[in-house]
Amino acid sequence: MNNTPLSTTASDPKRRNLRAPIVIALAVVALGAPMVLGTYAVHAMVIALIFLLPAHGLNLLVGYTGMLSLAQAAFFGLGAYASALMSIHLGTSFPVNMLAAIALACVIAVPLGIPALRLRDTSFVMCTLGFVIIGQAISKNWISVTRGDMGLNNIDKPTVGLAGYSWTASNPVEAYYLALVLAAFATWVFWLVVRSPAGRNLVAIRENETLAESLGIPTWNYRLAAFVIAAGFGGAGGSLYVHYISVASPLMFQTLYTTTMLIIVLGGGAGSITGVIFGSFLFVALSEGLRIAPELRMIAYGLSLLILVFRFPQGFAPFLMRIWDWAGGVDKKEGSA
Amino acid sequence: MYFLLEQILNGVSSGAVYAIVAVGMTMIFGVMRAINFAHGEYYMIGTFGGWYATSALGLPYPAAILFGVAVTIVIAYVIGKFVMQRMIGAPVEASVVATLGVSLVLQNTAILIFGGSYKFFSAGYIEPVFFGDVGIAQQRLLIILVCILVFLGLELMVGFTRMGKTIRAVSQNIEACEVVGIDVKKVVMTTFILGTALAGFSGILTAPVNVSVYGGMGEIITFKTLPIIVMGGLGNVRGTLAAAMILGIAESLVAGHFGLQYRDSVGFITLILMLLWRPHGLFSSRARF
Repeated sequence: MNNTPLSTTASDPKRRNLRAPIVIALAVVALGAPMVLGTYAVHAMVIALIFLLPAHGLNLLVGYTGMLSLAQAAFFGLGAYASALMSIHLGTSFPVNMLAAIALACVIAVPLGIPALRLRDTSFVMCTLGFVIIGQAISKNWISVTRGDMGLNNIDKPTVGLAGYSWTASNPVEAYYLALVLAAFATWVFWLVVRSPAGRNLVAIRENETLAESLGIPTWNYRLAAFVIAAGFGGAGGSLYVHYISVASPLMFQTLYTTTMLIIVLGGGAGSITGVIFGSFLFVALSEGLRIAPELRMIAYGLSLLILVFRFPQGFAPFLMRIWDWAGGVDKKEGSA
Repeated sequence: MYFLLEQILNGVSSGAVYAIVAVGMTMIFGVMRAINFAHGEYYMIGTFGGWYATSALGLPYPAAILFGVAVTIVIAYVIGKFVMQRMIGAPVEASVVATLGVSLVLQNTAILIFGGSYKFFSAGYIEPVFFGDVGIAQQRLLIILVCILVFLGLELMVGFTRMGKTIRAVSQNIEACEVVGIDVKKVVMTTFILGTALAGFSGILTAPVNVSVYGGMGEIITFKTLPIIVMGGLGNVRGTLAAAMILGIAESLVAGHFGLQYRDSVGFITLILMLLWRPHGLFSSRARF
């Protein structure tokens, strides 16, 4: 989110210059949190980091391309099942499984996206919801492969091997650092995508598709590409999730997962990377960490969705931008807007 | 043969239930241009109202119907005041997210109050009657009868009363309605309460047949209502009745010939196929919305 170059104004004595300290402080907090927090709180932060992956994908669709898709949970579940099955039957390691989950989610997103993207607005939402329901039906009824409602258990904890040395994230603290690295990498990839000319074309499609098309942007290809990339992020999240909690079950296609991703993106601020990271920690880590009863948490999510839609349609992103501007602004009231 | 006839009769009766739920959703879509993703929750609320009235208050079944519908109306009024009225003219994304939020709140409040376990609904008229060798529960006949009455009533209301005419007017052009002095908010509110009351009503009607009552029961109803309203053509009352019957019978036949576990997939496969080939519905030649 570093839009304003610091160097040009760094010599101004009145400037607060708090941006670098804020970033460093956040990095220290992110790296040091597991050493201070209890196991359960670390677990909550791991879940938040994992959900950041599909949330980035959803953000690409909702925030950058302007398509409200509920299918993200379907790709999350697909990635989870693909990883689990590979781990159980082929015994492949976590990085292989995750790459396979991403590839599979991307490949399956093409035949699903081609018909779905022909639809607009409500019809698109209904169709993407349909993908989740079908995913759930398959995971429940294809018993010979998915073991139905019993689910797949005892999936290996994520192991990363490099040149003969291998390391397994067997407890929440280790899983936290693995998830942190992967989430940071995913955020970097996401940043590359949205900052590229292609990313700007997506925003153009969001703002005015007809105008974008008239400027020669192949809108159809871009929307399909966005759908496929988002699916890849969903598959990656599912793979990491299943290796962390070591169970894959049809519950993964529940409304809970769709809603969680939706609230991260809308609450954090669609179209804002920092907003979504913030949203992930605020909504997932907090609710998980406070150990609220699942029903109460769902009620709180529901109310938050209502408040967000009607009162804060841009989520927390404007609030974060204000802090950022304040941190880089001057002491007098002439701070940059 | 009798087996097939029985299946079709059962299909018609579940189709009748879907029709009563879906017609409310399609009317709400008509005036608001928004899919009410919480629609099944009002079906759940009606059922819970009826269950509470019979098992905790000891009321007879007809009184339980009134109680359940009354509870649904009160809750719908509150939701309508705070949520639905704000959705007039709001973008599609906002209405999707808002109704998903309402669905979460209603569903989990019910689970929180009554617990997550399955409850047993024991009232109603479940003795079968026989036509020759074909048997059907009395309750199912009652449902079919009520469905016919509801649709006759809706046709009359939409065609001849002032309220019905304003509903049609609002579903055609909101701005023009405001210009000629129609209270759009009031029409939206009335349609919303009418639609949700019908959903609650059909919940209590089916409870004796479905027997089990639980907090998550509304979700599957919402999911089945979506293909019906798309098949019927969004906002089309008569089309909804036909589409509901088609889905009900198709589900019943699939359950009978392929197994019960495939029954619930029929709806969503239908929905996706419909959206792909005839997004404007089976009965109209072009999209209204």
